[in-house]
Amino acid sequence: MTAPIIEVDGLTKSYGGKRGINEVSFDVAEGEVFGFLGPNGAGKTTTIRLLMALIRADGGRARIAALDCWEKALEIKRLIGYVPGEPALDRNLTGGQILEYFANLRGGVDRAYLKKLIERLDLDTGRKFRQYSTGNKRKVVLIQAFMHRPRLLILDEPTSGLDPLNQQEFDGMVKEARDEGRTVFLSSHVLSEVEKTCTRVGIIREGRLVKVGGIHELMDIKRYEITIAFAKPVPADAFARLEGVVEVEALSNGSAVRLAIQGAADAVIKEAAQYPVVSLTSYEPSLEDIFLRYYERDDQAPKEAARV
Amino acid sequence: MFRSIYLKSFRDYRVPILGWGLGLGALMAVVFAAIPTVFATPAAKAAVVSIGASYAWIAEPIKIDTAGGYATWKYGITILVVVIWPLLAGTGMLRGEEDRGSMDVLLSLPRGRVRIALEKVAAMWTALLAMGLVIGLLTFAGAAKVSSDLGLGAALAFGLNLALICAVFLSIALLISQFTQERRTASGVTAGILVVAIVVDMVHRVVPNTVWLSQFSPIYYYNLSKPLVPGYGANLGAMLVLLALSGLFAAAAVWLFARRDVGGVSLHLPERSSQPARALPQSDWSLRSVYSRSLGMIATSTLWWTLAIAGFAAWMVIIVKQTEASLKSLLQGSPAMADFLKLGGSDSATNASILSAFFIFMPVLLMAFAVTQANRWSADEEDGLLEIVLSTPQPRLRVLLGRFAALATATIFISVLTLVATTVASAATGLALDYGHLAAASLSIVPFGLLVAAIGYLFAGWLRAAVDTGLLSFLLVIWFFISFVGPGLNLPDATQKLSPFYYYGSPLLHGIQVVDLLVIVAVGAVALALASARFVRKDISV
Repeated sequence: MTAPIIEVDGLTKSYGGKRGINEVSFDVAEGEVFGFLGPNGAGKTTTIRLLMALIRADGGRARIAALDCWEKALEIKRLIGYVPGEPALDRNLTGGQILEYFANLRGGVDRAYLKKLIERLDLDTGRKFRQYSTGNKRKVVLIQAFMHRPRLLILDEPTSGLDPLNQQEFDGMVKEARDEGRTVFLSSHVLSEVEKTCTRVGIIREGRLVKVGGIHELMDIKRYEITIAFAKPVPADAFARLEGVVEVEALSNGSAVRLAIQGAADAVIKEAAQYPVVSLTSYEPSLEDIFLRYYERDDQAPKEAARV
Repeated sequence: MFRSIYLKSFRDYRVPILGWGLGLGALMAVVFAAIPTVFATPAAKAAVVSIGASYAWIAEPIKIDTAGGYATWKYGITILVVVIWPLLAGTGMLRGEEDRGSMDVLLSLPRGRVRIALEKVAAMWTALLAMGLVIGLLTFAGAAKVSSDLGLGAALAFGLNLALICAVFLSIALLISQFTQERRTASGVTAGILVVAIVVDMVHRVVPNTVWLSQFSPIYYYNLSKPLVPGYGANLGAMLVLLALSGLFAAAAVWLFARRDVGGVSLHLPERSSQPARALPQSDWSLRSVYSRSLGMIATSTLWWTLAIAGFAAWMVIIVKQTEASLKSLLQGSPAMADFLKLGGSDSATNASILSAFFIFMPVLLMAFAVTQANRWSADEEDGLLEIVLSTPQPRLRVLLGRFAALATATIFISVLTLVATTVASAATGLALDYGHLAAASLSIVPFGLLVAAIGYLFAGWLRAAVDTGLLSFLLVIWFFISFVGPGLNLPDATQKLSPFYYYGSPLLHGIQVVDLLVIVAVGAVALALASARFVRKDISV
């Protein structure tokens, strides 16, 4: 892993008595696309707003490019392109005026590249912001985040409201940024989006980071399912005792079993071989399944972030 | 409370009902509580009568030497403040929901548009009645301590009359919002109509035989009822006119709402070509910096305020010249007018001294403008408009000061145009004035506007936009009382120094009082420094 561009250590923020985030720690390496997953209200936006120095941490530390996010906010913002979760812009300006304004606030941008982005996302720059559809509003915000080719993109649910065609275009833009060695911090609850674009993910829940890892590492801790159909009924209990079997369900009057397995399937295969097997089907878990596992039961949630 | 749109909407208004009702009711109770002091001696009572006569053009003094008469007169000056909340609520009722996108959800329910709008209007009227009831009860409680002849019925009728005038401007705001794309625009236009209505009502008290003109103003009908004044009572006909007006405007608004696009307007202007554009604007001055963008944002409202303030100042010059002879004889023969002239810093009834007395209202107007701009600053943060701006490499301090500098430019523009307008009016009418002093009087209003804006920015560090605006408005009213009514009540000098108007002095007669002006500049600078210190450290809310 190359040097981290984002370093978050024990970051804590509360809103009065209400929960924000608690002791969140993670690093994001330069050049990676990091997915930040969590349900609504988990603390994704709070973490991002702390990174953006829009709010001040109660405890812990957040650094970007080795600079303290609060103390060196100005220097950091030169490096960042930002898409907020609920973007609000001047409703009376046209899309073109908004982009021109933010380009000026950034001290100027490559206009040819800006025009390319406008064409790429097919934005009508002549309409006022208030006249845009949700998707077009999102396009304006996306373009302003990408237009200065920032070293780090912090995107809070960036594709919300975009149609599939533009989502695909967005995926392409993220991949291009990654290929150019830029870093993307992408908060989302659209798992397929994260699965497609991210190299590592962090999962946040109720203000605590419950998992950080490479996307493939997370897939490796999978709990997968196998359904085995037999020519005659078999004792399901025989499978329940096997190593790695988490759940057993008898189907078709005992002529089939559905097994949830954690780890190797060797013992299951050997046990099944003792009976006449008709078919065997294995289901790969999606990130969706992994994600849901971390949220399905409160009492099973790890207290500390686990690294895999 | 969530069983119907009516109940839900009524629930939404519970804080304003209590806040505005208790605030305005408490103000009335305080006015009554002060009466024993105000009427302590026959001489003091006579002074109050004199002051009332001086301000007859703002609020008609009827039996001002009675508790009810005095309270009615004093409260009459605050009509502008009373109507602010209903005005804002009226524009937010439908247009505000459309702005937030919640109207789409509401209209997905199996209920007709007319019914939804009517339930909301009914909830608002109920809220106003509740507010009137709270004000009426507090008025009764306050009056009971100083006057036994003021009954509960009179106090409640007073509250009802207030609720009715509020309902009229609420309905006007609702109607205007059917024609504007944004709530904010509707609020601005309705506020303009309110100011015009107040001025039109004033006309018949200043210019003889102009009652017919004042009858076009709803404020005229509000003032016809004075339930607290012994023997005057409520004017049922006038109250019915107010009821009819509010019903008419609300019905028109609901009718239009039922027929237009959600998020659209009732009157469509021709749209530009539907050909999609890919171009970026070239050399648009207003997009170059936070300052220039802020200036662009307030340009339209500044032009309207300039028209109002400069127009008002020029009108005063013309009035003074046209009524020169009659005003002089009136002023020389009236001890009350002598007190009025003292406000302008003179004992003699010259044209300049009369105009100087009128000119003390100039800072008030500019401060009212500043209140609206301070509101916009806190509202922008609330609406999330600062979020992306602050994600750019712009220091927070520059963002705040850029906005403030734009406001300062606007106030300077207003004051310079006021100077031009008064100079032209003076030259055109032949009214001899010291132009140096006229410049001093016009330009020295700037620090007063900036003072209010700085305090508004400071409050915005902690308070939400509605509370910030409410607090600033009340502050303005309190200062107004201290400076314009205080001298007649023999308020201690130390108290009068608490009001910024004290430091305006009489520049039209004596030029700029540098030390006094520096006090305002210093307090404004401290407020701005504190506001800046708070803003650079605070959590940006969404």
